[in-house]
Amino acid sequence: MTSAATSPDIVSPAIYLEGIPHRQFSEIMAHPGLLWHPYQDGGFWVVSRHSDVKAVSKQPKLFSSAVGHTNLWDLEADALEARRSIIDTDAPDHTRIRRLVSKVFTPRNINLWENVTREIACELLDDFQREGGGDWVNKVAAPLPIRVILSILGVPVSDADYLVELSNYLVEGTTDKPTLAPDAFGNTTDLRLLPFRSPASHALFEYGEQLGLKRKSDPQEDVVTQLVMAEEDGNRLSAAEYRNLFHVLVFAGNETTRTAIAHGAMAFAEFPDQWKRLEIDGEIGAPAVEELLRWATPVLHMRRTATADTELSGTPVSQGDKVVMWYSAANRDPAVYDQPFDFVVSRETNSHFSFGGGGPHFCLGAFLARMEIRILLEEMLNRKMALRQISAPTRVASNFIHGILSVEMEVV
Amino acid sequence: MTGWTRLGLDMNRCVGVGQCELLEPDLFRVDDDTGTATIVGEPVLPSQRAEAIVDQCPSGAIQIDNNINPTLPKLPDTD
Repeated sequence: MTSAATSPDIVSPAIYLEGIPHRQFSEIMAHPGLLWHPYQDGGFWVVSRHSDVKAVSKQPKLFSSAVGHTNLWDLEADALEARRSIIDTDAPDHTRIRRLVSKVFTPRNINLWENVTREIACELLDDFQREGGGDWVNKVAAPLPIRVILSILGVPVSDADYLVELSNYLVEGTTDKPTLAPDAFGNTTDLRLLPFRSPASHALFEYGEQLGLKRKSDPQEDVVTQLVMAEEDGNRLSAAEYRNLFHVLVFAGNETTRTAIAHGAMAFAEFPDQWKRLEIDGEIGAPAVEELLRWATPVLHMRRTATADTELSGTPVSQGDKVVMWYSAANRDPAVYDQPFDFVVSRETNSHFSFGGGGPHFCLGAFLARMEIRILLEEMLNRKMALRQISAPTRVASNFIHGILSVEMEVV
Repeated sequence: MTGWTRLGLDMNRCVGVGQCELLEPDLFRVDDDTGTATIVGEPVLPSQRAEAIVDQCPSGAIQIDNNINPTLPKLPDTD
């Protein structure tokens, strides 16, 4: 890349303490072509328009997930290999690994978990209502998805609190001020080799390996057993692939939906007429769930790397250039959304990118997340439970995860 | 142009998301053993719908099958 116009800062973690820098993104989107964003020793192309994000996602050969890294920074070769997960692979490895777990997450099979999800949601909402409110993240948004994903994976639900704790540390690893000591959780691995450079990744790897050993000697009807069996027979999954896949399933299975549920509650508190509308409708339709997802945009960006010289929105992109898709911007693209900064539960079409831009890396847990959100809203509606926000949220200073650490809500 | 379009499945690409089964359960089903989609019906749809299915398949496995020209009755009300 050379002499392209430069993007305003959208990566400094501190910016995100105030939320997504929408003003900067609007400026970026209004600029014809792509802007170049300086970063560390180099930089990346800012892909912000809905159409451009889709174009990048839909061309996985041209815009690779396996080259470099899917986060902003590059990894040394050994670190990339040690940390490579289903997220940082291309076909055919991606296809092979994904097929091992895809069936669990198809719409039909996810429906089988509706009752379990409803039971957990009811328990959490009943408690929250009885107490008249509290920290929505800690009491509802975090425990719901972690308990559901652990049930699906076959991980003891009694370990939910420990895994949420690890997950919190992993998110912290995406900020510029992680607090864990390098040897926390008994870690002896070079932090470079761990996802999010976090000792909590070591702990999660260890946990997954111990559980895998248990399932090998005493197989169960669960996902972890299926994965360790795939590892045993015919080398369909290497030990490193198992470790990283387990890590992704636990982390992505709870962190992202928790973030969506946190932003969802804040959105309904900010736009109470939209909750009233659902009360009048008496049901939670797909448009409400999709709008909540658009609004929340739990994962703010993913990076790809160009494998050949090409062009995007008229801007030449060179082989090896980093190309970063900002879902946070595309989900507010005025070319696609009327009143993009309004939360409107009745949007007829809503092709948001909260599950990615629609390529092969489309979120594995998309149908699970949708189901969890729908059930939670249904049960809130059943209880005639509206929320009022009584504190500013504590946000995560991360340009990658749109995280909310806590937000006080009152039941009204 | 309106009319009918036949869809095909590139099995090398399919990652088993299940979007096709969700959209057209009579035509597609994800096989629980292989984790990939299978065609279970006659995969011929009004062209506009077929294009939407192609667009919404994340892996690009569902493609328009140009090799076969479906001979089907003319769609009602298409002029």
